[in-house]
Amino acid sequence: MRLLLLLAIPLAGAALLTRMGGRGARAVHGLTAGGTLAAAAVLAAAVTREGSVTALDGLLRADALSAWMATLVGLVAALAAAEAPRQVPLGEAGRFYPLFHLFTWTMLLAVTTDDVGLMWVAVEGTTLASVFLVNFERSRASLEASYKYLLICSVGVAIAFAGTVLVYFADVQQFGDEPYPLRWTTLLRLAPGLPARVIELAFVFLLVGYGTKAGLAPMHTWLPDAHSEAPAPVSALMSGVLLSVGLYAVLRFKAVADLAAGPDFAGRLLVALGLASLGVAAAFLWAPRNYKRMLAYSSVEHVGVVCLGLGFGGPLGVAGAVLHIGNHALAKSVLFLLSGRIRAAYGTAEIPAVSGLLTAMPLTGRGFLVAMLALMGLPPFGLFVSEVMIFAAGFQTGHVMAAALGLALLVVAFSGLLRATHRMLYGPAPARALETAHWTSALPLGAALLLLVLAGLAWPPGLAAALGQIASLLGP
Amino acid sequence: MTAITNFLAFLGLVVTLLIVWQQSWPGRLRLFVAQSLLLALLTLVIGVFVGKPGLLVVAGVVVLLKAWLIPRALARIGAGTPVRPVAPGHSSAVPLLVACALVVVAYVVMLPVNSATTLPTEGGIPLAFAMALIGLFVCVTGRDALGHLLGFLMFENGLFGLALLATYGLPGLVEAGVFLDVLAIVLLMEGVVLRVRREHDSIEVNRLRELRG
Repeated sequence: MRLLLLLAIPLAGAALLTRMGGRGARAVHGLTAGGTLAAAAVLAAAVTREGSVTALDGLLRADALSAWMATLVGLVAALAAAEAPRQVPLGEAGRFYPLFHLFTWTMLLAVTTDDVGLMWVAVEGTTLASVFLVNFERSRASLEASYKYLLICSVGVAIAFAGTVLVYFADVQQFGDEPYPLRWTTLLRLAPGLPARVIELAFVFLLVGYGTKAGLAPMHTWLPDAHSEAPAPVSALMSGVLLSVGLYAVLRFKAVADLAAGPDFAGRLLVALGLASLGVAAAFLWAPRNYKRMLAYSSVEHVGVVCLGLGFGGPLGVAGAVLHIGNHALAKSVLFLLSGRIRAAYGTAEIPAVSGLLTAMPLTGRGFLVAMLALMGLPPFGLFVSEVMIFAAGFQTGHVMAAALGLALLVVAFSGLLRATHRMLYGPAPARALETAHWTSALPLGAALLLLVLAGLAWPPGLAAALGQIASLLGP
Repeated sequence: MTAITNFLAFLGLVVTLLIVWQQSWPGRLRLFVAQSLLLALLTLVIGVFVGKPGLLVVAGVVVLLKAWLIPRALARIGAGTPVRPVAPGHSSAVPLLVACALVVVAYVVMLPVNSATTLPTEGGIPLAFAMALIGLFVCVTGRDALGHLLGFLMFENGLFGLALLATYGLPGLVEAGVFLDVLAIVLLMEGVVLRVRREHDSIEVNRLRELRG
């Protein structure tokens, strides 16, 4: 019931919004986003109490990892929804809000279904629902970005389909009479008996396929374009949670591959792709020119960090990686939303054209600075803690070279981000004040930053238990 | 049954290679329809021999979707483009060689799958995977939106064949999702490509170079 509610709210909202316009649409939009967040919180509470929640005869199933992801989707969607009316003119409501909630719905479905086939359909659905959101501003560049996005992600997810077929093949070859052969719980139970070589092959396809969606290098080429051309709320959703939904799919299959083929196989691949992503991101972040692209490449960087954590493995590495997904979702969505305000005020996304941000837009500028420091992984923010956990796990599990190289690349990215931020925040300010937002509009973003501080200084009750639960779900 | 499925998979691969060789767009489209019809026939044959009535429905959907609806959409996208978009002096010898090499690659990659099974349809599995790989190759080397989309659809056809030969079809829910998905991609792509054409007067993707770095 709670699961059905979580999925029903955004879907009903999207359906309703196709027939509405103007101020009524804004109200329904706000209610839908708020309801989704509330339903996600209820689900998380239920999962904490009961371990897992199922619906529709097990087709939908939420364990600790699903609940964590659903909560993040709910949170980021609510943040983005609060900002959306600033970016979407009243007359254009019909082109934006229904797709926005449909996009949220596909992500929620992907993380709450137990059937890996349906999960595949939902992940593909995220692309289809968001293509026209990327092209919302109807500029040439955004058209090109949405073309690339649709093509590259469709091909990527089709590769993941090949992987899913192979997993299904291995399953029905060995255990033909299982009633639900494509359920993740079934796969996990049968995994030790599946043919190792077939599962290895399948995992490579799945990693490349879902990795495309997650923005892992070298399949990341769609990401900077789509993230920088989409309107700010959509960028926030894509960067904050869509990438992690791709990672989530990889995670589910990693648990199966670990049991079928031994833990080293998937781990080594993840470490390699993680380092590649960090390398690509560091190379770009050394001297970025466009701040939305800078934020997009920083997502590639953080997806790489998460992959390192998963690849290093062990309870510490997995917990760190999962926590990092959450921290990055909050920090990056705040930054993308603020970058939307900056772009609206300065009229450009080029870094050299923005200066004196702290003077011209005191509220936005300060928020940008704080969120940027959080993103760079400085204490007292959550990203510091999760990065320490991940790299500590690396040294602990004997991946010394990989961890050291990862840290070095992080430092390179750090220095580039710092220089770009400095350039935007200080320097001569434009003559007129550019801040148009009322301080109340900064409250949701402030709340997100506060959560980041909590994740860094004092974990809320239950967080440690939840992370432990997720780590034990996914690994020995 | 083995003889029939192997023969159909082999014919599918031949048609795939012909698509690589064929340079005129209407010809490629006709060959794609032929490929889809072969897949539908394969589905029908397996459905009859294994006694899975669900597969007969799937075969019908394949005909409807991939041999009629999608080719129609492709024809709409391609309407007005020159029949031979390829630059003069360009030969399809190199792509054809690459495609043949991909067949070998497919056999090597599918070794673990073939050694894990004794299905009567086993022989067709590498052939279907080769179709998929060649489709992917056509997709990534495509010079215009039509090339990309055709390659993607060939890739998808190959994977469908793979699923069919290796597992006799996926569960109904997933199968339905896949079909809807392919249709949605083609229709969305049509929307995007028509917008691109309005903006750029061409569907050559080389002209899309706004985004760099």
